[in-house]
Amino acid sequence: MSKIIVMTSGKGGVGKTTSSAAFATGLALRGFKTVVIDFDVGLRNLDLVMGCERRVVFDFINVINGEAKLSQALIKDKRIDNLYILPTSQTRDKDALTPAGVERVLNDLSKEFDYILCDSPAGIERGALMSLYFADHAIIVTNPEVSSVRDSDRILGVLASRSRRAEQGLEPVTQQLLLTRYDPERVERGEMLKVDDVLEILAIPLLGVIPESQAVLRASNVGMPVILDEASNAGQAYTDAVGRFLGDEIEHRFVSPQKKGLFSRLLRRSA
Amino acid sequence: MSIFSFFRSAPRPSAVQAKERLQIVMAHERAGRTGPDYLPMLQQELLAVIAKYIDIDQNKVEVKLDRGGDCSTLELNIELPAREQLKSAMAAVKKPDLKPSASADQDDEDDKLAANGPLTNGGVKKRH
Ligand SMILES: Nc1ncnc2c1ncn2[C@@H]1O[C@H](COP(=O)(O)OP(=O)(O)OP(=O)(O)O)[C@@H](O)[C@H]1O
Ligand SMILES: [Mg+2]
Repeated sequence: MSKIIVMTSGKGGVGKTTSSAAFATGLALRGFKTVVIDFDVGLRNLDLVMGCERRVVFDFINVINGEAKLSQALIKDKRIDNLYILPTSQTRDKDALTPAGVERVLNDLSKEFDYILCDSPAGIERGALMSLYFADHAIIVTNPEVSSVRDSDRILGVLASRSRRAEQGLEPVTQQLLLTRYDPERVERGEMLKVDDVLEILAIPLLGVIPESQAVLRASNVGMPVILDEASNAGQAYTDAVGRFLGDEIEHRFVSPQKKGLFSRLLRRSA
Repeated sequence: MSIFSFFRSAPRPSAVQAKERLQIVMAHERAGRTGPDYLPMLQQELLAVIAKYIDIDQNKVEVKLDRGGDCSTLELNIELPAREQLKSAMAAVKKPDLKPSASADQDDEDDKLAANGPLTNGGVKKRH
C-alpha cells in the first residue's frame, strides 16, 4: 500500500523543500520506492535542490492536463535507485491543480510507489490545500520562531478539517513535528524557543530536530539533498528523522550545544 | 507592574516572552476554530440585529458554542453600555414599529443594567 506524505508548514521559507528532498532521498536509501512531487506551481525549486533542473521536460501540470504521460514527466534520480522526482510547472499558476487531476496522478503513482512525498508551497491556499488533501501523514516543518509556530498551528487546524481523511470521517492524518533551523546555542542563551516549548504549544509528536547548518546551503548550491552529506549535523539529523518515521527508536541529537574544546573553538569559522 | 519586577536582576529572556505570547494568541485562535463554519456569520448577523437597537461595543461581545452529548448551547454575552449611555442610545433608535422585545420587561433589566456587567444570556438550544 502506497503512503502519501505532505511536507507542510503554512509559513514560507522554513525548510519544506530542503526537508522534502532529504526525506525522499532517505526513504529511497532505506529501500522504498519513493517519488517527491513539487506542488509549488509557478515557483518550482525542488528540481534545483534535487539537482535535476536540466532534465525537466514535462511536469506535473502537463500530466494533469493530459499533455504528457506520467512516465514522461517522472525524473529518475541519478544517484539513488528507487528515487523519482515529479517537478512542477514554472509558468502556470496554482489553479492548474484541479482536485480531480491531482487525485488521478496520485492514484497512478500509488500503483508504483511505496511513498509519495508532496512538497507543499507556503500559505493555505490552493497549492497548499491540494498538497495536503490526500495525505496519510503530515510532517509539519516549523522553525523555533513565533510566526512559524503559529502558522503550523493553523495548518494543523486545516489538516483536521479540510483533508480528505477529515472530510470522509476516516482515521485522521498523522501529524509529526520536524523542527528545523534549530540553534542550541541561541536556545541556551534564551534567545530562541526550546524544542520542549514548541512541543508543548503544538502538542504533536516530535519527528526530529534539524540544526541550523551551513551544510544546507552548501548542499543546495550543488543540487544534492543534504542527507547525502553524511558528515554534516543536518544530514545526520535527517537520517535519524527518516529512521524514526519508519519506526526506529533513535535518540534526539543536536538539541544541546556541542561541547567545544579550545581547538574546535579556534576552528569554528571554518565549520 | 508586578512586585517581582523589583527583584528581577536580568530582563526576561526573549524566548520566554515568545512562548507566553504564543500560548495566549493560540488559545484564542483555537477556540475560534473549533466552532462550525456558520458561527462567525451567525455571530455577525445577531450582532447586526442587536446593534440596530442598542449601541454595543463589538469588543464586549462573547459568543460561545458548547457541544454536549445530545444538546449544544450557543451562549451570547454582550456587555451593554452604562444606563445613561443606553438611554440616549435607545432614544436615538427610530424604529417604533419594531420595538425590541427586551423593553417589555425593561424594569427588571434596568437593575442589572446599572451593574454594567455582561447581561444578555441568550441560550439558544439546539438538538442534533
Ligand atoms: N537546517 C537549516 N540550516 C540552515 N539553512 C537552512 C536550513 N533549512 C533550510 N535552510 C535554508 O532556508 C531557506 C529556505 O529553505 P526551503 O526552500 O527548504 O524552505 P521552504 O519552506 O521550501 O520555502 P517555500 O515556503 O518558499 O517553499 C533556504 O535558503 C535553505 O537553504
Ligand atoms: Mg519550498
